Amino acid sequence: MDTSAPSPFVNGETLKTFLGRRVRTVVQVQHNEGGVLLGLSTDGHQLTIRGASGAPEPPHYIEVIGIADSSLSIRAESCTDFGENFDGVAFNGLCKLANDKYNYLFL
Amino acid sequence: MASARLTPNGVGAALAGDTNLRPIVQVVNLRCVNVDGKGTPRSDRWRGLVSDGAETCPAMFAGQLSDLARSGLIRRGSVVQLDEYVINMVGGRRVIVVLNLTVLLAECDIIGNPVITPESESSNQNNPRVEQFNGTRQYGLAAGNPSPTRPNGNVPVFQPSVSGSSLNTPTRLSDKSPVFQPTAQPSYRPAPSYKNQGAIAKNEAPARIIPISSLNPYQGRWAIKGRVTAKGDIRRYHNAKGEGKVFNFDLLDSDGGEIRVACFNTQLDRFYEVVEVGKVYVVSRGNLKPVQRNYNHLNSEWEITLERDSSVDLCPDENSSIPSQQFNFRPISEIEDTPTGTILDIIGVAISVSPSTTVQKKNGTETLKRMIGLKDMSGRSVDLTMWGDFCNREGSQLQEMVERGVFPVLGVKTGRVNDFNGKCVGTISSSQLLIDPDLSEAHTLRQWFDGGGRDASTQSISRDHTPSASRNEVRMTVAKIKDDGLGMGDKPDWVTVKASIIFFKSDNFCYTACPTKEGDRQCNKKVTKGTSGLWVCDKCDKEFPECDYRYLLQLQIQDHSGTTWVTAFQETAQELLGCSALELVTYKENGDPRFAETMLSCLFKDYLLRLKVKEETYSDERRVKNTLVKVERFDPAAESRYLLDLLSRLVASY
Repeated sequence: MDTSAPSPFVNGETLKTFLGRRVRTVVQVQHNEGGVLLGLSTDGHQLTIRGASGAPEPPHYIEVIGIADSSLSIRAESCTDFGENFDGVAFNGLCKLANDKYNYLFL
Repeated sequence: MASARLTPNGVGAALAGDTNLRPIVQVVNLRCVNVDGKGTPRSDRWRGLVSDGAETCPAMFAGQLSDLARSGLIRRGSVVQLDEYVINMVGGRRVIVVLNLTVLLAECDIIGNPVITPESESSNQNNPRVEQFNGTRQYGLAAGNPSPTRPNGNVPVFQPSVSGSSLNTPTRLSDKSPVFQPTAQPSYRPAPSYKNQGAIAKNEAPARIIPISSLNPYQGRWAIKGRVTAKGDIRRYHNAKGEGKVFNFDLLDSDGGEIRVACFNTQLDRFYEVVEVGKVYVVSRGNLKPVQRNYNHLNSEWEITLERDSSVDLCPDENSSIPSQQFNFRPISEIEDTPTGTILDIIGVAISVSPSTTVQKKNGTETLKRMIGLKDMSGRSVDLTMWGDFCNREGSQLQEMVERGVFPVLGVKTGRVNDFNGKCVGTISSSQLLIDPDLSEAHTLRQWFDGGGRDASTQSISRDHTPSASRNEVRMTVAKIKDDGLGMGDKPDWVTVKASIIFFKSDNFCYTACPTKEGDRQCNKKVTKGTSGLWVCDKCDKEFPECDYRYLLQLQIQDHSGTTWVTAFQETAQELLGCSALELVTYKENGDPRFAETMLSCLFKDYLLRLKVKEETYSDERRVKNTLVKVERFDPAAESRYLLDLLSRLVASY
């Protein structure tokens, strides 16, 4: 694992605290057209993912690793299909833990 | 010599009726008298004189103390503390009947100069000594210490009113005057009336009415007056003496004393029709026996068995000085910390009623069961389990009311606390269920419920109803089962481990079982192949060409902390492997590869395994046995949520 360039777990809420930095999140694909993807974060924000060519169709979940462009968009470096069967609640709980009191336990 | 301080005027105060004094006295005379117990071998009784250093008085020692006297632990000179005693009139004299005592000094010189009167001396009421006792009644009395004759944990809901018309003397309600009233010495006593008809004169005056709480087996003639609060059905029994029938009824008197009365055979015929619930009777004469707490939860230490010369007389003009029922309602929240088996009264609003279901009892017979959800102002709710006839009587009525949207108040008299998926309360045969009773508690509850209590959130103390996420499952690691010494207690421990199966013992995974059915229940005992080539069941004493195969599967489980052996029986093993024992046996006999595949498919996969952990003894060797009671396939999403919940609680606690 490359620890020199960590990509912290974020959800829609915590994305804005990492502007310009590399993050990692999971969204459910809502709409995918011409390399611009609209996805619903696990805490209910609509995020715009650029450069997500080859991403699966709705309602698949994808993991996106990329740079936080703005508080609601990510420039993707990689996308991974997580399938349809994914528990957003658990991932959201993980994101909260990773950005909370004990964030030093996470990369 | 250790100093012995006798209670000053202990004898006088005790004779005057203070049964809570627990005086320290010296035995200055002791002798054995033989008594003829009815139907029992001759037994010895001990009587003598006790002294407080100045005065003496005759004492009789209860049968259970005979051993102490016989073995010499109590002898002339012993200094004892009288823990429990009653005062009786014997031949015109007051006698301390000692029920329980503590020996403080086995041997001691006679202290002081007690007036030792020969025991045979017959004194009467006008004896100056007795006068002296009366004159010094209040000596040594702690002010403001109203003295109930017997500690009574119950706070009666109905404060029994002191009725002037009542013949008995209330001994416990005279808070105003701290004067001790003699326990068994009420003010009213019919004058003796002796009929001179033969060689033996017999006192045929009606026996005096005494409070139920002061009944004891050392009185021959007594009468009590109480209201019938419950009447049992006729039960038929069969024992070594032959067949018989019996019924019970419970009496409550104006002092809050309760007692159960049993009528057998002839007495049943005499009194069964006479006794009606709610009416007041004077019961006189009968045999007092120690109460059997398994069946009787009244506040008396005795039970009455009526005999040939007993009488039960209706008091038609009785007013309301005796309440019709005595309740000791406890808030539901208190049940949480109440040990299993406790008998108590609760009252709550019925918020849910389950349909009746049929359940099988241990003896194979069937009974009805119904669950009622009760909530009260304590913010807790509890499941009331109704059994048998209650389901169709009160249960149906409650169900109909709840379905109509009416939530009735339900009072439960004599419920039993059970520990089944959390605490719940079950009915027993002597339970009484009261729907919308006319009680102040019921009215308060109704007001609370209608005024918002309906929507108040309550927490159930019966875990069955809580969602599975928060169910109080004890999650453990495999190593912790051993480290914490689980299963060593009286009851099994129930734990859940997340583990994978690493080994199946595949040679003896099942046993040959008896297929005989008794009702819905299968025998399931192990059968062996007899000489005839048929399967033989020793229990059923039958032979069969075919037998059943039931799982008895040994497997090894492992998590990150260690490994352990677990036994899985029929249902759980079948659920785990996904095929029946018979199928697996067939695969094995036919060399079918599915035999190995079935087991391999379960190896090294994660499961949530619920285990019953209990120490058992096998041929003098004790070891902790883990039994698989439930298998759940591991669900990563549910597990993640479980961990998140665990973490958030952990974080919150720091």
